[in-house]
Amino acid sequence: MTRVASNRDDAIRALAAARHLPDSHRERWLALEPRSRGAFLELAESLRLRTGQIVIALDLLGEIAVRENKSAADILTSPALARIAQRAGSAPSRARAFIEALRALRFPRLGEATARLEDAIGELRLPRGISIVLPRELGSDVLTIKFELSRASDLDRAMGVVTERRAAIARILAMLGGSDEV
Amino acid sequence: MKFDLDAVFIEQGERESALARRVVAALPERVPVEYIADGREAARARVGADPFDAGKRRMVLMRRRAPFLMSCPAGSARFACCGYLVMVLASNCPMDCSYCFLQEFVAGNPGFQVFSNYTDSFEELERMIHSTPERHFRIGTGELADSLAFDTLTGLTRDLVGFFAARDTLTLELKTKTDEIENLLALDPRGRVLVSWTLSPEKVWRTCEHRTASPAARIAAARRVLDAGYRVAFHFDPMIAYDGAEHDYAELIDNVLDVIPAAQIGFFSIGGLRMTPALRAAARRRWPADPMLLGEDVLANDGRLRAFTPLRLKLYRILAERFARAGAKVPGYLCMESASVHERVFGVAPANPAATGERLALGQDLR
Repeated sequence: MTRVASNRDDAIRALAAARHLPDSHRERWLALEPRSRGAFLELAESLRLRTGQIVIALDLLGEIAVRENKSAADILTSPALARIAQRAGSAPSRARAFIEALRALRFPRLGEATARLEDAIGELRLPRGISIVLPRELGSDVLTIKFELSRASDLDRAMGVVTERRAAIARILAMLGGSDEV
Repeated sequence: MKFDLDAVFIEQGERESALARRVVAALPERVPVEYIADGREAARARVGADPFDAGKRRMVLMRRRAPFLMSCPAGSARFACCGYLVMVLASNCPMDCSYCFLQEFVAGNPGFQVFSNYTDSFEELERMIHSTPERHFRIGTGELADSLAFDTLTGLTRDLVGFFAARDTLTLELKTKTDEIENLLALDPRGRVLVSWTLSPEKVWRTCEHRTASPAARIAAARRVLDAGYRVAFHFDPMIAYDGAEHDYAELIDNVLDVIPAAQIGFFSIGGLRMTPALRAAARRRWPADPMLLGEDVLANDGRLRAFTPLRLKLYRILAERFARAGAKVPGYLCMESASVHERVFGVAPANPAATGERLALGQDLR
């Protein structure tokens, strides 16, 4: 449903006040072109976005819009995001999924690279108590191998597991260093 | 003069300095000159829509009160550094790159300062030579300013090249994004001066590097100084990981190698775009529509936003391999990266910064 412009802007101000949205973000929202302003309002209301989620969503939307040279409305009506807005489920779960989907649009190659690395780690089929942890957001080239041990014999077993999988772990390290397609 | 100035401020005590006399004589009439007691006041940020940009058009000729020589501000124990020494002859730059660290670094005093007592730096260099006569140093003027912007006005390179050409253990690096090389062509560097260009693909240049010479003009200028007896080098820094960057950077290197034979390139460096969150915020405020500032950057463990590691390292490797296939060994290093990243890209960890700096000064292989 399309609202009259003044009603829409009043509704944005009212929602911003109710959520204690920072002035900077309220103004950024109101500075969007009318179609985008309204599209985001409808989404914020239907998903009942919380303050932090509105802030993050406005930041991500603004960045995607510059990167992709698209309006926020075009981004919000893209199939991936429209599906989340329309699907069944609780508002909080849809709100979380919406933010995740925005992140995926903002960082597409990071998402793909992380998935590829997680798949490679999964293929190691590590037993309980041994894990391989990727650096946060792939922000470094350091892989962490974590042992959770309570007995000395567990240590021998864990070392053996890692040694057996040395080549595969080295491949993951190489992927982290950009040797695979990213 | 290739860049615009709104005004020139000269410290009263420096009005008879050689630099002030040269600048005043060469300045177009439309640019007003004002004599002031303390240049530091004129250099400070002033209230306005964009104080940083306004500062770029306000040249301040003043005494430098601090030492001229310093370690490169990019240096840190966590990085494998190149041993570059910085000689601060000026601060800020008339060009305006959207990613430039000066937007944060000199935000409080963005006036374009040129230090009239710059020949005092020669005494600092002499002291350094005498304290370590066996060592070679690579010293650059292009860290807090472009080495050649305004050189037709200031004429600094005439004195610099003369000084370095007479010292066997010093190498001067003039780093630039201009093609302002006229003064250099009339001088004899005697192998002691290296001119380096920061290069980016056409797309980055058009989007980010405002008021700079085009990549093709920079490469052409490099050829001309090479023919005039200078050594040349190239910095692919910042390397920006946008969609299509792999192809564009490889093509850029091919463009360089078409004009400058690999054997005649002193070295190349690569550095991924890195921004502190504060710098990114400042840059985004000034350039809100610049997509190059919005790469897939994540917070790295040095507190800077960088392209996520596999993407960044893959690009590094593509550039390094392009040079490796160039037909001659071109020494290369990474800026603000760890030893492990160097090893991943070049196959071996680098030497310590002092040794790396010395090898770069001497044009030796780094590995």
